[in-house]
Amino acid sequence: MSFGDFLLKNLQQFWELTGFANAEIGNFVMLAVGLFFIWLAIKKNFEPMLLVPIGFGILIGNVPFNTGAGLEIGIYEEGSVLNILYNGVSAGWYPPLIFLGIGAMTDFSALIANPKLMLIGAAAQFGIFGAYMVALAIGFAPDQAGAIAIIGGADGPTAIFLSSKLAPNLMGAIAVSAYSYMALVPVIQPPLMRLFTTKKERLIRMKPARAVSQNEKIIFPIVGMLLTCFVVPSGLPLLGMLFFGNLLRECGVTNRLAKTASNALTDIVTILLGMTVGASTQASQFLTPQTIFIFFLGFMAFIIASSSGVLFVKLFNLVLPKDKKINPLIGNAGVSAVPMSARISNNLGLEYDPSNYLLMHAMGPNVAGVIGSAVAAGVLLGFLA
Amino acid sequence: MKRKLFITAMLVVAAASAAFAQGRKALRINEVMVQNESSIVDDYGEHHGWIELFNSNFAPLEISSVYLTNDTTDKKKYPVPLGDVNTRIAKRQHVVFFADGQPDKGTFHTNFVLEPGKDNWIGIYDADGSTLIDEVFIPASLATDNSYARTVDGAGEWAVRDGGAAYITPSSANVIRDTNNKIEEFAERDANGFGMTVMAMCIVFSALLVLCLCFYGIGKINSSISRLNKMRAHGVEKHEVEKGEVAHDSGEEIAAIVMALHDHLDAHDTENTILTINKVKRAYSPWSSKIYSLREVPGVNHRR
Repeated sequence: MSFGDFLLKNLQQFWELTGFANAEIGNFVMLAVGLFFIWLAIKKNFEPMLLVPIGFGILIGNVPFNTGAGLEIGIYEEGSVLNILYNGVSAGWYPPLIFLGIGAMTDFSALIANPKLMLIGAAAQFGIFGAYMVALAIGFAPDQAGAIAIIGGADGPTAIFLSSKLAPNLMGAIAVSAYSYMALVPVIQPPLMRLFTTKKERLIRMKPARAVSQNEKIIFPIVGMLLTCFVVPSGLPLLGMLFFGNLLRECGVTNRLAKTASNALTDIVTILLGMTVGASTQASQFLTPQTIFIFFLGFMAFIIASSSGVLFVKLFNLVLPKDKKINPLIGNAGVSAVPMSARISNNLGLEYDPSNYLLMHAMGPNVAGVIGSAVAAGVLLGFLA
Repeated sequence: MKRKLFITAMLVVAAASAAFAQGRKALRINEVMVQNESSIVDDYGEHHGWIELFNSNFAPLEISSVYLTNDTTDKKKYPVPLGDVNTRIAKRQHVVFFADGQPDKGTFHTNFVLEPGKDNWIGIYDADGSTLIDEVFIPASLATDNSYARTVDGAGEWAVRDGGAAYITPSSANVIRDTNNKIEEFAERDANGFGMTVMAMCIVFSALLVLCLCFYGIGKINSSISRLNKMRAHGVEKHEVEKGEVAHDSGEEIAAIVMALHDHLDAHDTENTILTINKVKRAYSPWSSKIYSLREVPGVNHRR
């Protein structure tokens, strides 16, 4: 072999390893999706903390390479760096860490002051089970239907946790769908809220919430964890961490831990979770007809969840005394997209009455939605795992 | 001192209970064959009676130093040897010991044999040689090449298996499942998902309703306690409050008091005029040392 042939042979081998030689149409489609997510996040400011890592993760996961070369670089290749980082998603331990941070960030005062708002958080979970029925009708198996339906909880970590247990092969599509619709909450919810409420109902003023004592705030995570986890032990990883984080925040003697859980830890896990979920959407795994169905079902789940929250409040108002009526505009906040959906309730309330601030009232069902979706996930896991 | 002792005692109790909870009590005798003529062979190609153990934990279990015995008077008859990597049983997995009376053949060969035609008893004792982990009585009627097995791995009743419709399953699960029964059942009996929806929503509502009622009660109790404390602080009686003689503090009043306190505490019009200078100690670290981030002037070196 001449020196020229030697160079040529090596360059040819190198070419076979490049992305250009291994690219397929699917890769370019997914790269476009990744770029679209990054554009949405940066230009439209839609959930940038989630969509930037996911979008860039999609780019990382869809750079084509020679899978037969044994380079150990792909997210599904055991031992690769991405695969090691992906373990937090596939084994389901990132979501409970995120829940720890959510617990440490969340002030449950609005819920403690007005406990009946918890029922709105429960009602919004109809979205999950409505989507479950539709998914079964489309032809998904019960475990896959359960994993897809949890998108209706509007809770990314819960969706990832449940799908990693019930339908690992659909996890990428479910996670991307859940986060996409969470980012689109400001677009999806307001028309539904207007549709199901009258002008008179939108003007309902709610009584200011009572002050909540420190003791109540400390008791809440302890009793909350014990009660909910005794009912649904399969929700323990999520609910346990959520209430633990909240106790760190409220007990007053672990400020350093609460600060770390709600800032540094959550940021680190969010980066890893978003990036690896994005990278898991390799074209070969992601671009299937099932993905289209999952996006459709996710959309349905969001609509049912938001509508059922609003309609439940209207129903609830029928039995409440006149001075304790609830403004149905806070019903949408029963989905657990915290605090986005509560903010939407507030903005819409202000649109109809510039002095009617609903934010603190809406935070009650909003955080109840977090608990409700974790309980619903535990129920599905208990029934179908 | 007392506090330290208390904390140490609590830690010891917690560690001991954790060790007990996750210890070898999860080890189960799962299936036994007394007389083996055509079932599995050992590494030497020979047929012997065998004992299958099952780790019913959802975590790996190390079984070295537990005792296997067929003699109620000799609890430490066969100690499972130390130092063999195969004595670590993966979660929900099995190992088989050959009861051939030839322990020199390896870890999984016991120093006793099972006796056909007689009642056999097998026990597993923990490393202390006195804590019984599991035991089984095998009836004398057990035929050749039949096994005596649990109906469900690690639990349930014992039954004779003849190798026909009732499989003999050394080193594998006693119940062979090719589908997830739960999912099959839901797919068959609840094809439209209505049952799941009703059940799940009832559970979600119940969980949050219980929490709601609980905090409604806690809120009431808390309000009563704070009212009592307030009455005590003001030195008023309950009937005065009921008559409305004691006015409630309005939110505006509380806000005004808080703001006044804030202004008062934040006031800097009087200083104590004492200046304190504390020495700041910084631990040396090569990662933050300025020595490594400053460049020496070449000329200075040259002059030296």
